[in-house]
Amino acid sequence: MSKRHLIGAAAALVLAVSPARAEDPIVIGVPVGLSGANSVVAPSVVQSAELAVEEINAKGGVLGRQLKLEVADDASGAAGAQKAFDSLIYQKKVDVLISMETSAARNAGLPAVTKGRTPYIYTSFYEGRSCNKNLFVNAWVPEQQVPPVVDAFAKEKGAKTYFLIGSDYAFGRGMLAFTRQYIEKTGGKIVGEEYLPMDGSDWTAIISKLKEAKPDALITSTAGGAPNVTLTKQLRGAGVSLPYANLAVDEGTAKSMGADAEGIYLSASYVTGVDSAENKAFLAAMEKKFGAGLKTPNDLSVPQYEAIYLYKAAVEKAGGTETAKVLEALPTVSFIGPRGTISMNKQHHAPLTMYLGQVQGDGSVKVISAFKDVDPGEQCPKLK
Amino acid sequence: MLLILDVLTTAAILFVTSIGLLAIFGVLKIINFAHGAWITIGAYCAVVAAKLGLNPWAAAPLAFVVGAALGGLAELFIIRPLYRRPLDAILATWGLGIVIGQLITLGFGRDVQFTPNLLPGAVQLLGVDYSAYRLVALGAALVIGAAFAFTIEGTRLGLSARAVIMNEALARGLGIDTARVRFVTFMIGAGLASLAGVLLTPLASVDPNMGVGWLIGAFMLVMVSNASFLALAAACLVFGAAQVLISAFVSPIFGSIAIAVLAAVTLRISPKGFSRA
Repeated sequence: MSKRHLIGAAAALVLAVSPARAEDPIVIGVPVGLSGANSVVAPSVVQSAELAVEEINAKGGVLGRQLKLEVADDASGAAGAQKAFDSLIYQKKVDVLISMETSAARNAGLPAVTKGRTPYIYTSFYEGRSCNKNLFVNAWVPEQQVPPVVDAFAKEKGAKTYFLIGSDYAFGRGMLAFTRQYIEKTGGKIVGEEYLPMDGSDWTAIISKLKEAKPDALITSTAGGAPNVTLTKQLRGAGVSLPYANLAVDEGTAKSMGADAEGIYLSASYVTGVDSAENKAFLAAMEKKFGAGLKTPNDLSVPQYEAIYLYKAAVEKAGGTETAKVLEALPTVSFIGPRGTISMNKQHHAPLTMYLGQVQGDGSVKVISAFKDVDPGEQCPKLK
Repeated sequence: MLLILDVLTTAAILFVTSIGLLAIFGVLKIINFAHGAWITIGAYCAVVAAKLGLNPWAAAPLAFVVGAALGGLAELFIIRPLYRRPLDAILATWGLGIVIGQLITLGFGRDVQFTPNLLPGAVQLLGVDYSAYRLVALGAALVIGAAFAFTIEGTRLGLSARAVIMNEALARGLGIDTARVRFVTFMIGAGLASLAGVLLTPLASVDPNMGVGWLIGAFMLVMVSNASFLALAAACLVFGAAQVLISAFVSPIFGSIAIAVLAAVTLRISPKGFSRA
């Protein structure tokens, strides 16, 4: 065979292979903070994504195509996210991005999402009002999370004065801005509001201010992971024992913090104790797949699991992975997952059932009350 | 009252985290940019000690020994050939720090580790409830400072070290084994950094990058102290006070950059920093 024939054969081969795109896997990009502030919780998010993909693939995939995960570390911050999003969108050519990330990372990644016209399902609770044609959110916003905590403190603890502490970034400030607004609306008073940079670890001065302000209750909203751990350690070290709600703690972190976390109030759309058949099946499947290496499923990892199913439903409804059609289908589909029926039908956000819990001495979370289908409110009035 | 205690304990923590860097800079004339990695090593010694079921306090001597031993190896194989090339030494130690961080990541994972609290709770002191552990940290800083002063002023090694600091060529001419002095100093400096790592565990989160933030603070403090440990104590007190007061009366966000800004200003006005005082 001559050289020319060889080239011709190769070209024919390429031509023969490329139209077979329907056989290619659907690639799901997961930019996530494997290092940095989110490193405590990110492994659990990856695990639940792996389970969803395995379950869907075992049942024949989506429209006959298998799902494939591409995980990229965004180092929990803006700079890492830009790289992670760029490489996922432009090099790995993912069909969709589904991930839990810090707000800084999400905001840094959004321009690439817009430019690359990639659907993006954000699965982390956040400060709200991030609006983008390509962006859907299936986790809670302040309007869903804060009221249960403040109402419980006001009713059960008779709290009138509050102190707020946060990390200085979009989530910390956004959460506490809403908290302040809600407390003041319901007749409470803020006696202090303090922030520390995300990489700060010395809360000394803030804790001293807290002690001097003598509030009835404390509400904190730090970045998950390291800042949350240092603040809680130093609060307990300083002997702070007033009613304390942590808007950023998840069950897994609470468990590993041990005695330091005891008594903390948290408000979440998922706790492992949710009593439903879907949740029990999910927990059993996770246990079976990961065994001793299982990271406790939590309010960040479960939305990730459900989001992959929501994407599957949208692709099936759209009849393919074409962005415009998928974006049209996403708000119309729903999935019954461990957290109940999830549908991102409210301005790209989802009504959710919220639970008020308290961390027990053994690290488990006791559900104190549940609030059914809490509405996310006006998040993105310009999106339908 | 609370403010005074905050200032003292903050200064103590700064002192504990920078004394190891100062020791190495004083004698070896190089900045050990792997200092942060040794702090991290110390904190992970606390993690290992907890896994072995040891008393949490046993982690402190363990960390000192492990840190010093690893410091000895690093001095022998990496630092020693670079004494005449201080710029390359910066690169080498910075790189070493990255390698150590990655090795820790490989061994323990990237996530935050949890260690048993060395001393939980608060105590009544002069009319305020104050974190018991921070007071212990203050005591630890005083003990470390005193031990350091004794080593410098009262032992043969200290005498040799002072001779090397003042004039290394002359010290060598007088028969002092300067290579050995450097070796032992590096071990002690590395050991002190690891010890600081253990002492930080009740206040900080333990993760592979935890040392970097402390390294930067320590670097600034050592730069303005110019290898004098009394100057370091003074610098810790002044900068610690600035950090606490700015955090308390202006904003914690400004407070957290206070040390870096003040160090730059101090060196601009007085190149010798605090060492003249």
